[in-house]
Amino acid sequence: MYQLKIDDKEIEVPEGTTVLKAAGMAGVEIPTLCDHPALEPYGGCRLCLVEIEGARTLQPACTLPVSDKMVIKTQTEKVKNARKFILSMIFSERNHFCPYCQVSGSDCELQNAAYGEGMTHWPIQPNWQPYPVDASHPYFVLEHNRCILCRRCVRACAELVGNFTLGMEERGANTLLVADLGVPLGSSSCISCGVCVQICPTGALIDRWSAYRGQEKDVSSTKTICLGCSIGCGIEVLHRDNNLIKINGDWDAEINGGVLCDVGRFIPMDEKRNRLATPMIRKDGGLKAATWDEALSVVMENFKPFINKKENGIAAIASTRLPADVLYYYKQVFEEILGSNMVTSTEEGRYTEVLSEFAEDKGPFEVKLSEIQKADTIMTIGLDLTKDHQVAGFFIKRLIPEGTKVIPVSYESSGMDAFTHHSMIIERNEDLAFIQALDAAITGLDCSQFSEKSGVSSQEITEIANLLDRSQNLVIVYGTDFNTKQKKETVQSLLKLAKKLNAKLISPKGKANSLVAEQLKLNKSFNVNGHKAAYVALGDEDPSQAIIKKLENISFLVVQASYHSALTAKADVVLPVTNWLEQSGYYITCDGHVQLANKSLQSPVDVKTNKEVVLAIADQLKIIVNPVWDKAVKLEKSVVEIE
Amino acid sequence: MSKPKVATDWMAGCAGCHMSLLDIDERILQVLELIDLRASPITDLKEADESGVVVGVLEGGINNTANEHQAKLMRSRCKILVALGDCAVFGGVPAMRNFFTIEESLRRAYIETESTVDGFIPTDPELAVPTRVRAVSEVVPVDIHVPGCPPSADVIFHVLSELAQGRIPEIKDENLHWH
Repeated sequence: MYQLKIDDKEIEVPEGTTVLKAAGMAGVEIPTLCDHPALEPYGGCRLCLVEIEGARTLQPACTLPVSDKMVIKTQTEKVKNARKFILSMIFSERNHFCPYCQVSGSDCELQNAAYGEGMTHWPIQPNWQPYPVDASHPYFVLEHNRCILCRRCVRACAELVGNFTLGMEERGANTLLVADLGVPLGSSSCISCGVCVQICPTGALIDRWSAYRGQEKDVSSTKTICLGCSIGCGIEVLHRDNNLIKINGDWDAEINGGVLCDVGRFIPMDEKRNRLATPMIRKDGGLKAATWDEALSVVMENFKPFINKKENGIAAIASTRLPADVLYYYKQVFEEILGSNMVTSTEEGRYTEVLSEFAEDKGPFEVKLSEIQKADTIMTIGLDLTKDHQVAGFFIKRLIPEGTKVIPVSYESSGMDAFTHHSMIIERNEDLAFIQALDAAITGLDCSQFSEKSGVSSQEITEIANLLDRSQNLVIVYGTDFNTKQKKETVQSLLKLAKKLNAKLISPKGKANSLVAEQLKLNKSFNVNGHKAAYVALGDEDPSQAIIKKLENISFLVVQASYHSALTAKADVVLPVTNWLEQSGYYITCDGHVQLANKSLQSPVDVKTNKEVVLAIADQLKIIVNPVWDKAVKLEKSVVEIE
Repeated sequence: MSKPKVATDWMAGCAGCHMSLLDIDERILQVLELIDLRASPITDLKEADESGVVVGVLEGGINNTANEHQAKLMRSRCKILVALGDCAVFGGVPAMRNFFTIEESLRRAYIETESTVDGFIPTDPELAVPTRVRAVSEVVPVDIHVPGCPPSADVIFHVLSELAQGRIPEIKDENLHWH
């Protein structure tokens, strides 16, 4: 521990702490621009200069580690003058005229820094050189004239996402933020995660949706979780007068630490589907608006003849985006009370069923996602983390510069290939052969028979096998996009290989409540043969073509959904429900974290939550459902420990 | 003690800062009790007294030779010069044209605008010659900068009442924030 004096405060901090962090601990505020808590210190803007007793010049607080007995002064005339000078230089470098800018008022860190120094003006006029504007990206605009070259976006793209799209070209006043080697953002390697937009301290990166729709001081914010997939990223939903303004990553969230992918940040903003606003009943061939009482009584009347009729009864399918409690109530109503033999989820156990079969005798065999950051070697197989569960892909990609070996195994080239020398492209559906080849090579047997089948040379197999064998901390991230005929054997051989290599296993599964659906055994293939009625608890999910087709010949179809779709058009009764932002409920991530999603927006008047609708049906049947969903979820052994 | 003499003028701005001055509503009576308003664009007398005033207030940036003359005249006739509003302080919205050449701006304004028929660029020798848009402080020394687009009535009242009572106003915290 080092003893320091910052202004008039004495404090003891651990060795290696920066002056900026130490000042934070002592409650002394030092203004910053290029520094961000989620990024490595950089020392680019020099706004954090402080006076250190004994030092010849002012020193940047963000990069300077403390030393024992250091005396730091943050409020001297020399420091204040330096800050004003630096801000004047930044203001006069490009076009920082606040009246034109969408962040002026409270969201601009440059403006706030100037307010902090009490600046009424700056003495140096700009040289009026116009810089280009890049509006080629579908989600945001890059306005170079407002860029202060702090490189937060460049560092976030590299350090947090591992994508390395952004960089700088030229020197001095000509320095320009560029994508790749100077191509427009819209045609660059950008994956639209938007972390750069969230981290930009000025108005240089403009979010097309939220710009000019309200400063952060004007909008309300709700911390909740993203339901785009099963990773469970923490998000902050900004809303104003019940309108969705922006989705930001939650910097304090344990799982994602602020990063999000396009599925979490931008795609929900671009919601184009038409909302269902009132219950509807089919009358004379068309759907007509009805009251909730009418709609529910029609459901009951038509369900009654089919109660307990098994294969002649009611088929039910629910979205894995619904909260855990709702899924449990739904299961009780349809399986236990209505006696259906076809009660499942829209995922039909596609990503999870085979895993629970192994969990039944082995117990939990997967680890938490956070294990990724401890790995020295990571293999991914049976999935593409640059398409789905992208944030898990970010966790992996950002480790590559630190020397972590990453081996993505896929049937065709993926977004991961550009970042690693070890990507493996194998024959379609031949994952089993590939795993067997690796197994053989590691055991010291001839792998040529398997490697040939998998379409990879035995030399390559040996190289990969060596990498895996040499690793101290191997993590295998796997999906189950394997050949359906050999899915079980493939997973089995993967488990065997993992055991041999002492590897940790992680699978990101499917949608937000994939694991809950599996634990509640809502994992059957959805087969409609002879069922007379069907209930689809779709929530805000889009119905798949396969499900629409399977329900073609159902004589009585009830759809519980937030949006109009091809399925609601065919329904006999439509029950309108809240979307993900309008309800609260529990979700369990792919690695077993139990999280509460909070309600951010008010729902339309005549719309009920998914929970209310399922409970209303239970009420019609005069039964009370068991509310203890968490116990039910933990009843069966799971692939990963559930908190 | 006699009331301090004050004169105001506007240049390349939109008159919004003077509108904001009028937004101090009935407090203008308090201000007038304390100051002697000699000249302004919204009163009969347009130029500050030759014998000089204590406070000169300028709205707008300087975008032609006439503005230059106005600024220099005001500076020569006042003790304390106030740059009122973002255009006077930085150049403001008119300064957007600095990203183009003057020829481009004139052509756009007098010939290319969609509503113009048979347009031409005026060349009468009596007209002021357009220049790059400058902050007042680029042409003459400024004593007090009051930023804002426009500065709110409360800020203007604060500045005027402080000056009237013989103090140099300090613009900080809430008064400094751009709304």
